Amino acid sequence: MSLSRRSFLASACCLAAAPVFTPLSFAAMPGDNRFVTIVLRGAMDGLDLVQPHGEAAFAALRPDIAMRPDQGLLDLDGFFGLHPAAAGLMPLWQLKELAFVHAVSTPYRDARSHFDGQDMLESGGDHVAEEKTGWLNRALAVIPRSTARKAIDINTSTELILSGPNIADVWASDSALGTGADEAQFLKRLYANDPVFAKAMDEATRADQAAEMGMAPGTKRGEQIADIASLAGKMLLRDYRIASFSINGWDTHVQQVNQFKKAAGDLTEAILTLKNTLGPEVWKTTVVLAMTEFGRTVRQNGSGGTDHGTGGCCLLAGGAIAGGRVLGRWPGIGDHQLLDDRDLMPTADVREVAAAMLYKQFDVPPGDLTAKIFPGLDFSKGSQFLKV
Amino acid sequence: MSVSFQTMAAIRFGYGFKPGEPVPSDKRALLEQVPVGAANAPLFPIGGIEARRKAIADAADALQAIRKGNAADPDKRAAENAMYRRLGEMSQRDIDARIAQAVFSPNGFYERLASFWVNHFSVSLQKTQQMRLIVPLFEAEAIRPNIGKPFPELLKAVTRHPAMLIYLDQAQSIGPDSQVGLKQKKGLNENLARELIELHTLGAGSGYSQTDVRSAATVLTGIALDRQGLTAEFKPGMSEPGSHAVLGVSYGAKPRSEADYLAMLDNLALHPKTAQHICRKLVAHFIADQPPQPMIDVMADCWNNTKGDLSAVYATMLDHPDAWSGEGAKARSPFDFVVAGLRALNLPRNPLADSAAIPSLTVADAGQGMEGPAASPAPTAPPPSSAPPAGSAAPMAADSRAVPVPAGNAGHDGNATAAMPTPAAMDAAKHDATAPMGASMTAGTASSPVGDPAAEVLRRKQEQAALEAIFYVPSGLGVYALRRMGQPVWQPSSPAGFPDNFDAWINASALSERLAWSRRAIGRYGKQTDPRQFLKDTLGDAAREDTIRVVSQAPSRVTGLTLVLASPDFNRR
Repeated sequence: MSLSRRSFLASACCLAAAPVFTPLSFAAMPGDNRFVTIVLRGAMDGLDLVQPHGEAAFAALRPDIAMRPDQGLLDLDGFFGLHPAAAGLMPLWQLKELAFVHAVSTPYRDARSHFDGQDMLESGGDHVAEEKTGWLNRALAVIPRSTARKAIDINTSTELILSGPNIADVWASDSALGTGADEAQFLKRLYANDPVFAKAMDEATRADQAAEMGMAPGTKRGEQIADIASLAGKMLLRDYRIASFSINGWDTHVQQVNQFKKAAGDLTEAILTLKNTLGPEVWKTTVVLAMTEFGRTVRQNGSGGTDHGTGGCCLLAGGAIAGGRVLGRWPGIGDHQLLDDRDLMPTADVREVAAAMLYKQFDVPPGDLTAKIFPGLDFSKGSQFLKV
Repeated sequence: MSVSFQTMAAIRFGYGFKPGEPVPSDKRALLEQVPVGAANAPLFPIGGIEARRKAIADAADALQAIRKGNAADPDKRAAENAMYRRLGEMSQRDIDARIAQAVFSPNGFYERLASFWVNHFSVSLQKTQQMRLIVPLFEAEAIRPNIGKPFPELLKAVTRHPAMLIYLDQAQSIGPDSQVGLKQKKGLNENLARELIELHTLGAGSGYSQTDVRSAATVLTGIALDRQGLTAEFKPGMSEPGSHAVLGVSYGAKPRSEADYLAMLDNLALHPKTAQHICRKLVAHFIADQPPQPMIDVMADCWNNTKGDLSAVYATMLDHPDAWSGEGAKARSPFDFVVAGLRALNLPRNPLADSAAIPSLTVADAGQGMEGPAASPAPTAPPPSSAPPAGSAAPMAADSRAVPVPAGNAGHDGNATAAMPTPAAMDAAKHDATAPMGASMTAGTASSPVGDPAAEVLRRKQEQAALEAIFYVPSGLGVYALRRMGQPVWQPSSPAGFPDNFDAWINASALSERLAWSRRAIGRYGKQTDPRQFLKDTLGDAAREDTIRVVSQAPSRVTGLTLVLASPDFNRR
């Protein structure tokens, strides 16, 4: 091998920076309302972002993860509290530009696979592999007055949520999203029984940490999510009305305290950047929906993390919502209230939240929402989520 | 055998599974790939063998004409640099085509053998400017057609090839007492003779002496290149008179002739030490860094009994039970990793690469970038960001000769059928092409005066983009990736070739590079793939339980796919 130290460090840096290719997708249409979807890949722990500190049992179920308001948790309504890594969102909460829906899920049950879960979330189907295209793409076809626009397919990939027969532009960003702390854990497990690879990986990780300490000022990883969100905002200021991107790093099986902080920081950064970029006038017409494939176990696991669960939490932000509330029907976390004695019991379909936002922002007819976009979904103009 | 025959055949003896490509079902099918592969022209040199011979001759003439000029003349230097740049472009395309050859060929065992032998008979295209054109020709005409034949034929074809004569300085070796030697007061260069014995045949430490090396060098005197560097000629006036003993056998009489060194090559090729040396290398390459001696012995016996019939030796290797056990002991080299990764991701074929113009080399157009549309007056070239690249390919293809695909190829080698642009390939070309060809070909020809550095940089950038558009593999995943990974194609750092042991290729920096490569490649070609299916398709029953579990739990599709390519199972073979 004739790699110089410099090129080694440069490449090792890529390793933990995890340049997971993150496309930004857009669609243009007339009208003023904007809609942004953020897919939180890896199963965001809704019980960590929005913690039910009012549940007496909660702290005992998660001794290393749960927080009380006197430990830094930001109380929202006396029962739920926001993780301090998302403290930057509190002003939005106070302005009623932020809401959460707890105990939601897709119709996906039992198998808890990220791939199938994300497919369900993005395709909008009622069961695995029912739909091959993304629900946001199918929505384009039925949004009144939406016009097609010539595609600029700069790069090769598009995320499932906005992929399909209807035209949406895809912009590639090379920016890395998240440190891939969860990915690093997976690599560690992948190499656990192969000492040669495990040793090589250890060395690479150490070199990466060294390289990061030597990184040029102003190249903090957090700025990379800001780049994505800022690009999305700028496109929405032009004639684009829908944007979609992802944030990775939520698969917190091990030492969740550190990993979750980072991912929640990215989500906060993304929303604040969107708001700042859009400016007060456009922000007023905007809804941001951040959602994940499923939640995580109510009890922490043996390594200070949580495993794949079912019920989770989604986030709504924007000047177009009536926020400052945690919505949804709380199922409780007592002994007989959990799904399969492990997961938060879902009490609402996350697709209903998405359907409500499509109706609210673009007048998508309910009949289309329940037939074409989210087959099998129960949705009407009386939906609780239309009060947001 | 804990892993199926098909999996072993694909991973240990080939470049891995490729979706839709049939896998050999038995040893006979695997061996049958050797004559089929040898009968088919590879994708390189771009333009084919005859066009390449002409290009080498043209380049020699053109460089000679340029060099006649005044050294201080800036036009001369510019013309020279333009020629070098053209050679560099042609070389990059050949490297790309070599990667593509391994990716698209359905004859994985043959392709792996070709790589083995190219590394055994290492030459580097960095030796001289012309070597950038000659090395691909060397592999195509000296190595590939001969790797299923008796070893003496392979050895003779290789040793006499201009690439080897230039790389190991034989062109400068002259018998000190020959006519030319006496007149010019020049003498021996031992380089080729030493490597011939130490690396190509008997092997280091096999008992030969310095005297044998010197005598072999003496026997080799007289081999020279013709003026254009295209063919080896025997020039008696350069050969050392008399008879010379190598390993106890005397060669040479009056008059000296090429029969002398050819007889020496035959004897070296069939020496029992050679059989041991090369059979050991074959087993070390395919099966284990520490090859089992009994297996080597059986193969060497076959070598000795068949006068070095390589096909028989390969058959003996595959017949040995050790060929089908102990899987995963070897590491995939960077080339193997990249090719296997692109195969797993089912890299679409870029039809532009199949139909692009063959650049020729003349002094007249040396300053104009690659030939083709540049030759036609096209003053109204579109700006780089407009015209759709796919459309701009049409005038180029119409204007040029297509890369010839040998007739009778279709039945055996998927290359021929794949040459028909499929919709998927067209789509890929659209993505791969990042700049319109017409624009880059004409930009800066007459309008950029020498001495305008900005225009020069712009022109080069456009040329590079045009080049990318006609690559089979985006250079970040091919040409440049292999350089970063430490195994640049046709550029070994010594005549001993690239290392072939596990530790050379699996370490912290290598793993980082492979992860980065995997992410880039998956971002480009793998987004719609389910990681669990990808794992099954890519590793078959070679996937361990750990890998199956970790991949199936990955936090996202991209991570899952990355974990497959990063897994020990994928990086071992």
